[in-house]
Amino acid sequence: MPSEDATDSLLSRSLPRELAAELIALARANGAEFADVYGEHAVLTSFSLEEGRIEQGTYSVLQGVGVRAIRGDQTGYAYADGFAPAALREAAQVAARIARDAQASPAGPPPPFRVADAAAPFTLHASAARSFDETAKLDLVRRADHAARAHDARIAEVSVSFATTARQFVIANSDGLWAEDRADLSRLVVSALALEGDERQEGFAAAGGSVESAHFTSERTPEAVAAEAAASAVLLLSAREPEGGRYPVVVCNGWGGVMVHECFGHSMEGDTIRKGSSIRASQLGQQVAAKGVTIVDSGRVPYSRGSYRVDDEGTPSQRTVLVEDGVLVGYLWDLLNARLTGHTPTGNGRRASYRDYPLCRMTNTWIEPGTDSPEALIASVPRGLFCKKLGGGSVNPADGNFSFQVTEAWQIEHGRLTHPVRNATLAGNGNDAMLYIDGIGSDLAIDGTTGSCGKDGQWKPVGVGQPTLRFSGITVGGTAVG
Amino acid sequence: MSARPTPAELQSLTEQAVALARAAGAEVADACAEGSRAFTVRVHGGGIESLKQSGTLGIGVRAIVGGAVGFASGTDTSREGLADLAARAVALARFATPDEARGAPTPAEAGESPADDLDLFDPAAADLDVERKIAMALELERIALAHDARVTRSAGSAVSSAQGTFAIANSHGLARAWQGTSVSAWVVALAEDGVKQQTGVHGMARRHLADLPTMESIAREAARRAVARVGARTVPTARVPVVMHPDIAASWLAEMYDAMTADALVQKRSWLEGREGTLVASNLVNIVDDGRLVRGLGSSPYDGEGVPTRRNVLVDAGVFRGFAHDHYHARRLGTRSTGNGSRGFASTPGIGYHNLCIARGATPVSELIARIDRGFYYDDSGSFGFNPVTGDYSFQAQGMWIEKGERVHPVDGVTVAGNSLQMLRDIVAVGDDLEWRGAVASPSLSISEMTVSGS
Repeated sequence: MPSEDATDSLLSRSLPRELAAELIALARANGAEFADVYGEHAVLTSFSLEEGRIEQGTYSVLQGVGVRAIRGDQTGYAYADGFAPAALREAAQVAARIARDAQASPAGPPPPFRVADAAAPFTLHASAARSFDETAKLDLVRRADHAARAHDARIAEVSVSFATTARQFVIANSDGLWAEDRADLSRLVVSALALEGDERQEGFAAAGGSVESAHFTSERTPEAVAAEAAASAVLLLSAREPEGGRYPVVVCNGWGGVMVHECFGHSMEGDTIRKGSSIRASQLGQQVAAKGVTIVDSGRVPYSRGSYRVDDEGTPSQRTVLVEDGVLVGYLWDLLNARLTGHTPTGNGRRASYRDYPLCRMTNTWIEPGTDSPEALIASVPRGLFCKKLGGGSVNPADGNFSFQVTEAWQIEHGRLTHPVRNATLAGNGNDAMLYIDGIGSDLAIDGTTGSCGKDGQWKPVGVGQPTLRFSGITVGGTAVG
Repeated sequence: MSARPTPAELQSLTEQAVALARAAGAEVADACAEGSRAFTVRVHGGGIESLKQSGTLGIGVRAIVGGAVGFASGTDTSREGLADLAARAVALARFATPDEARGAPTPAEAGESPADDLDLFDPAAADLDVERKIAMALELERIALAHDARVTRSAGSAVSSAQGTFAIANSHGLARAWQGTSVSAWVVALAEDGVKQQTGVHGMARRHLADLPTMESIAREAARRAVARVGARTVPTARVPVVMHPDIAASWLAEMYDAMTADALVQKRSWLEGREGTLVASNLVNIVDDGRLVRGLGSSPYDGEGVPTRRNVLVDAGVFRGFAHDHYHARRLGTRSTGNGSRGFASTPGIGYHNLCIARGATPVSELIARIDRGFYYDDSGSFGFNPVTGDYSFQAQGMWIEKGERVHPVDGVTVAGNSLQMLRDIVAVGDDLEWRGAVASPSLSISEMTVSGS
């Protein structure tokens, strides 16, 4: 997130202020009230290992400029790869067509740009994305492979990848805002396959985020990540199928927060609130979660993938409380939806790249800790499921139906973990899921390592978090019938 | 160069990139370029929500040095840009492990595509006017809202048209290029049932504008789906027969495809390992991947490595015929590519399907339901719940409860679970309602028993 050297960045040279101002004027030539220009340069690298071999190294450059024009609640958008002024002017003219019926006269150039003043949530001194060379990256990948294989004789195959993204962007708009930021992300992913007789199971683990290189050399070494993936695969060999039905469930801290992201966070995004398609639009001030539940979204969590100094519209990131002690107190806003509803933007306008216009999106979303010990939460369940590792999750924002894949779970009998469980799916409806929380652990963890959230085909890095939580009842999908 | 390059222009770019990679030290090199132009109209609440034009021209260069692979991609197609990608790909190859099976097909190995016309390019789709797209999207939403009083709002509609050009060249002298179009339309209808909103989504994509169903038929189907869900409730947990809607069956098929690839096989990730030539499904089941379906959304004359596509039968009357291969896996396993090398400009080749389907059966869907005394008609699901390594299946589900051969009430708040191998064997009837809506399709399927978990 450092911004000190941004003034002389490649982007400032590729997209000079005079050109940005010209593009904004072109985009507003038909009378659009607002326009912005977003330039981006991103370098993506990866090394992958399969079957003990370095399969390939890859390098990709993504660079270009997107121009947006807004008239009322309507958006016109076009982009060009690269920075050739002629192509950018054409993009601006295409975006301007959104205001094709407008009677208004051309809006003219923006006021002189002033650089957005926003503090970085944290500073990276030697980010893994920029400071590791090829040899260092290959060393991480090979060490993970060796460690996973050495963990257990039943580990038959291992896949490892190490990927980095080094991205910088500049945003300028018709209000005269000028902002630049960058993001350095890196991620180590290990998948281990365990075989025993006819049984075949896979375990995953990952490390990374917006982290220093030291993250991989001291905090989350490739050996630690590999051991976690291998242990999970081996454990699943002896796991049983879950019992289908609705019963008490305890969900792990950290990545377990993917539940609050899916089944609550999406319904708090300003676009769905403005359009009234979210059930939450009419619930300000009402109880939407159990007492004691406080839900926060903040783009300022240190070292998380979901954090930034300014969002992709140039608004500074902030901490936004969505639910306080079970009561809905605030929503997430991007520029467009905030403007149309008279709210203040909360720094949640995000886009996958210059090829997409911004949407209202979460950053890092979590449930604040309570006072219960995680052990006590498990001990309090006579019969239920402890979800230790969750996989992917999804929600239909219109009807609230959600589901999560549980990659590693344990059966709880009389307050004790009795045996591992595989292939469980949690299903429910976001409208009421947060009301079923009846125990809140003290062990908040925010996982900013690996999450990506999809919306309208745009993928963005996010963080999720929670303490260990007990739900009085969730539908658990499985093949066993009790 | 514009984002609407001709196949010949794109071909020339790939040949330049290959020559530069060879000059930079690659023993074998290939390059893949894509140019695309799309325009999407989104409508909400009776007005335009957004107009978006997309246009990209990108190229990826793969260099093989001593059997080791390096790859670089980008969108700068100037000579300097291409030379930079070529140099980076060659430099990265030094870090990979040599593997003698790595390579690219010679023109003789690859062969020529048959002369049959796949009819992938429609000028009417390529030139579909923006105003016409706006009118189509407005019509979609208007008809969905007017269909039934319980449909109170929409979550939006969209109409999109696109054209794309693809070129591949390698240092053995192979060079191929082709182009295609697509046009798509979808709408999301929302119905109010007093407790919550219910969703009905329907959409269609076609290569040719003339093949796109009417906006009215798409809108009415979306509205019907939303209204059918009104009053949905959960059911007690039970093992019951399940009838899968074509959309659900097609999603399941797409999830299963990974296990049918040589990539999964060599990595020991396939639950079909060791089952070639054996019965893996009911003898009613035929699974076909056809790269040569006329006007098919997944059709192309050649695959991403320049090998002619073909019609591959993966499962024949329940018997698994074998794994899909790209050039690398075919070389490694001593066989021929099945024409399933799949590639975009920003990636190296992998294995992918073209037009994948469970073949049409003989039973009308009404008959599938009429035969069930007590069971679940399954027509909507969550996104996650498939284990690619084991074939285990467990999804959040919605649909209708079936009693005595009739759909009696809508259901939500349940999950449906089973194992793919068992599910394939338990298919007791295949519907006659196969319809292509994308590159994967299936008719309705009747499965004798799955676990429906509810209250």
